[in-house]
Amino acid sequence: MNTTNHSNVIVRRTLIATAVASILLAAACATAPVKPDGAAEARGKLTQLQSDPNLASRAAAAIKDADAAVRTAEQPELNKELAAHRVYLADRKVDTAKALAEARFAEDQRAGLTAQRDSARLDARTHEADAAKIQAATARAEGAEQKLAADQARSAAGDAQVAAASSEQKAAELQRQIDVLQAKPTDRGLVLTLGDVLFTTGRADLKPGATGNLDKLVAFLNKYPERSVAIQGYTDSVGTEDFNQRLSERRADSVKSYLTGQGIGSTRLSALGKGRSDPVADNDSATGRQQNRRVEVIISNPPAASR
Amino acid sequence: MNVRSQANRGSCPRMAVGVTGVLLLAACASTPPAPTPNLQAAEQAIAAAERGEAARYARGELSEAHTKLALADSAVTEKKMVVAEHFADQSRAEAELASAKTSAAKANAVNGEMKRSNGTLVDEMKRGSGDKP
Repeated sequence: MNTTNHSNVIVRRTLIATAVASILLAAACATAPVKPDGAAEARGKLTQLQSDPNLASRAAAAIKDADAAVRTAEQPELNKELAAHRVYLADRKVDTAKALAEARFAEDQRAGLTAQRDSARLDARTHEADAAKIQAATARAEGAEQKLAADQARSAAGDAQVAAASSEQKAAELQRQIDVLQAKPTDRGLVLTLGDVLFTTGRADLKPGATGNLDKLVAFLNKYPERSVAIQGYTDSVGTEDFNQRLSERRADSVKSYLTGQGIGSTRLSALGKGRSDPVADNDSATGRQQNRRVEVIISNPPAASR
Repeated sequence: MNVRSQANRGSCPRMAVGVTGVLLLAACASTPPAPTPNLQAAEQAIAAAERGEAARYARGELSEAHTKLALADSAVTEKKMVVAEHFADQSRAEAELASAKTSAAKANAVNGEMKRSNGTLVDEMKRGSGDKP
């Protein structure tokens, strides 16, 4: 009986011990820290953010907030819905902290970019200024050249002016001489008409003391040695044509020989009788006939080049 | 008289039981109140995100915030106040994420533009100096 009792006690004790052990085990299993699904991922993202040298120091408050949310999410929770909710919040808060840190980082970088931009602008302006300086120098050099050219032009103009003045003077002098001669400018040249007062009617030799006009012509020809002279004799219509032709020739020759006698080279002189052709007035009146009896001295215009 | 008063006395405990039962039922019906502060916080966070052009820079997050807020409202209608509170808080977290992502996107866009224009400036200068020796 005793033995039976004893063994019974042992069996009962073993059973109790086993039960206690299994209860303890079960309790241990129930209280084991099982983190809800997703909490580890949130922690991983947060750790990555906290170890990023560019981001960790920025958005400190948001990171702290996210850390608290992750810790809450990591707490074992039997209510699956609540556990998932906490993980959700933790995940979003970590992402929010990361985005805020990135925004701050970008803003902080902006100062550097602004400095870069300012330096680039400064460089650009320096380059522009240098280019402008070069341009100015070039322009100055060009200006100097232009001034030189202008000076030369001015001096040339001065010369021209002097020349013009002198040619003006010459022209004025010529005009004065022509006025003295009472010559008439025409296309053929200067025409000096010597009236019949030079000659006795029907004769070809010059009247003595009537050579005043011819002396002026000599003076003119001496002053303008490049000019040559054509002497043309004319008569009125009285008498035969033949007679008048010869008379006109002889009168022209008389004038020519007077001029050569005064030192004018005969190569500059030509004499021609034109008879009664080319009357300048009516032969019916005495006045008209007197006008037709004449010797015309045509002083050639100087060659164009020497003008 | 005596019999009547005894009868009246007997009905009193029964009434008390009935009143208590009604009170208990009422207490059950009005459970926790609607999570009004959480809902308002979510609405404000969404409004702030929208002011910051989150629709352009963080469309997914903003849309999710709207969805969660709608779920919270539905839960309130169904008297599931705990669920409503959770959805409201999730909506707010989503809206705040949308705002943060928008800030980051904008800041990066500005920096990108500055980098581009700096690059252009440098390029122009190089070209300019190349043209004018």
